[in-house]
Amino acid sequence: MENAVLADRIQFAFTVLFHYLFPIGTMGLAPFIAWFTFVAARTGSPLYERAARFWGRIFAVNFAIGVVTGIPMEFQFGTNWAAFSARTGAVIGQPLAMEGIFAFFLESIFLGVFLYGRRFVSARLYVASAVLVWVGSWLSGFLVISVNAWMQHPVGYLMAPDGQVTLTSLAALLLSDYAWGQFIHAITGAVLTGSFLVAGVGAYYVLARRQSAYGALFLGLGVPAACVFSVLTIFPTGDLNGSAITKYQPAKLAAAEGLFTTEQGAPLAIIGMPDEQNQTLIDPIVVPGVLSFLAYGNLHANVKGIAAYPVGDRPPVAVTYYAYHIMVGLGTIFVALSALATLLLVTKRLERSRWLLWLLMLVMPFPYIANEAGWVTAEVGRQPWMVYGLIRTAESASPNVAAGETVFTLLGFAGMYFLLGVLFILIVLREIASGPEHEPAAITAAAAS
Amino acid sequence: MIVVAFVVLVAMLAAYVLLDGYDLGAGAVHLFVARNDAERVAVMESIGPYWNGNEVWLIAAGGALFALFPQVYASSFSGFYLPFMVLLWLLMFRGIAFELRGQFPSDLWRSFFDVTFAVASTLLILVLGVALGNIVRGVPLDAGHYFLGTFTFLLNPYALGVGLLAVAALAQHGAAWVAARVDGAPAARARSALKILWPAVLVLIAIVTIVTFAVHSPSANLRAMPAIALAPLCSAAGLAGVAVFSLQRRPRRAFEASTLFLAGLLASSAATVYPYLLPGYPAPQTGLSIFSAPAPPFALATILPVAIGGLIFVAAYRTFVGLRLNAGRVKPR
Repeated sequence: MENAVLADRIQFAFTVLFHYLFPIGTMGLAPFIAWFTFVAARTGSPLYERAARFWGRIFAVNFAIGVVTGIPMEFQFGTNWAAFSARTGAVIGQPLAMEGIFAFFLESIFLGVFLYGRRFVSARLYVASAVLVWVGSWLSGFLVISVNAWMQHPVGYLMAPDGQVTLTSLAALLLSDYAWGQFIHAITGAVLTGSFLVAGVGAYYVLARRQSAYGALFLGLGVPAACVFSVLTIFPTGDLNGSAITKYQPAKLAAAEGLFTTEQGAPLAIIGMPDEQNQTLIDPIVVPGVLSFLAYGNLHANVKGIAAYPVGDRPPVAVTYYAYHIMVGLGTIFVALSALATLLLVTKRLERSRWLLWLLMLVMPFPYIANEAGWVTAEVGRQPWMVYGLIRTAESASPNVAAGETVFTLLGFAGMYFLLGVLFILIVLREIASGPEHEPAAITAAAAS
Repeated sequence: MIVVAFVVLVAMLAAYVLLDGYDLGAGAVHLFVARNDAERVAVMESIGPYWNGNEVWLIAAGGALFALFPQVYASSFSGFYLPFMVLLWLLMFRGIAFELRGQFPSDLWRSFFDVTFAVASTLLILVLGVALGNIVRGVPLDAGHYFLGTFTFLLNPYALGVGLLAVAALAQHGAAWVAARVDGAPAARARSALKILWPAVLVLIAIVTIVTFAVHSPSANLRAMPAIALAPLCSAAGLAGVAVFSLQRRPRRAFEASTLFLAGLLASSAATVYPYLLPGYPAPQTGLSIFSAPAPPFALATILPVAIGGLIFVAAYRTFVGLRLNAGRVKPR
């Protein structure tokens, strides 16, 4: 049974981390596509028109892989986590059903209009479809995150003596401050990623001395957006999540910060290796008092360390600690890089600063790593709970699915996703290499004719 | 209220079968009706704007099952573990084939994805049909409402028969779609395909209907509520319509008749298993019925109005968009 739970956890972690790469792309690029489409319709600019269609094609690949890797996520609740689903389906099934009904239909139907319908629909409906795809992608993100937020901090529910959990207020679940805090942080993280993608592709065009009009357009929009959203991701949205965790999940806070012993005026560890065996941080570089200040606004506040929690209630420290530090470290670098690039952009020196364009181009994968690391912090730090304080992960798996079966399907997913990943990179790189000027002659659909 | 929940769930699953059914069916007959690149592009173009949205009905229905009948969701998804994983991979292969086919101008690349698309579509229908057959027949649930769906149990003659019927019926649906929505040679070949598929569907449905009375008899439900006899009557009328309208060369009508046929067929299946969602085997009574395993009343009272309102809204804008995009038949270029 223990092996089965471990196999289920690894499979879910692997499939969800891979899946989330694509919603980051869709949620992060959708506002840019809507903006390009809107400006193109207002001004008739062919530059913006082609930019919209170019990012629309990249969006479509993200969306397609996001859909095919997203269905396994919904299925796994039932296939691998049947005990959890049977107990909580009346709660978390609701936002998931709403996601299908309200968000997926909106996104998929209007993406069909956006990609295939330009010949048939009015300019106004065409712009509306780009905006509705954006709304759909964010709404979908919100509804899924509201489920996760409920698992992090359950609200508006009632637990029967037999362990069945019932929702008493859908509004409480949807309006939970935890959910909104997580959502705006995830969204700014996604738009940050989208901004760095737009800026990075722009930097590539300028460096390669081709498609230069688009290079300037993408840099001009992507760089300031990256700066704004890098800042917003740290403050206020990241800070809000920090306060929520301090309030509701102090054990996660201790694990993420690598704080083993309870301290007055707890230090903030910048660097260090957590040693779970001996309960210490090896070779730390710390700033005294800052953790107390960040958590409670007081340099001398008392912060509980991991040792203060019973062994059975502690999250894995090392994974939580590293994931969190990778997220925060990268977030800080993003602010510095995008602020510098914005400064050079405003003073019209960016296109000549080739070293910085190189950095902007090469930084493109890192926002993905930061987003994923954030989720690892949130999910591993929640352990050993499936629903925080209510249902343990160990009692959540399907009783009738053996570890071997899950390992077999995990290998299947690994092979399948390797193939998907290679094809995704191939297609997107080819799309970028062809550039916005190139409209594909005959894709499977009639877009070009 | 619980009966309403059952109806909503069945309606969503039916919407999935009717809508994704034509693009799955078009995939099943793809290699036969479209022989060269231009024709294959035309068949794929005819479903291009719709297939992703159609597939969302499966996800939405899964979500609805999760919310409305959590125990049924948990038991069926974990019990059908390996078949559902196969289903997921087939869905992926099919989606990939669709997205990637046109990416490289190479004959080998394209024919690989044409075959992938056709095989994955056909197998998907078969897996879904076998699953439906097993749900009608019942599964060996234990006292904790769980079961282990082994292949020897799931691949029984009845379920395989339903699987074959599903392949034939959706291939017919897909051929009717191609005949109505694509021009030129593919439409002509789709019409000849209908001439073979129609008798096949007729024979299979006769056999499956007779055997169903032995496997999980609908007679009790029929006596309790004779109105459900309308469902098989609609189905029969639809099937007759497919033949008549095809012969009259009225492809749009034939496609609509095929839709009616499938709707009647699914309504008949639902009326057969009612009130069970996952009947037990060998005795249905050991299974999960809508009364033994619903979500608590408050949860149903919350999600049902939201879901029904949302679905009406979706149907409205889907129809609006469909009318705007409906630019006639796709011509092979």
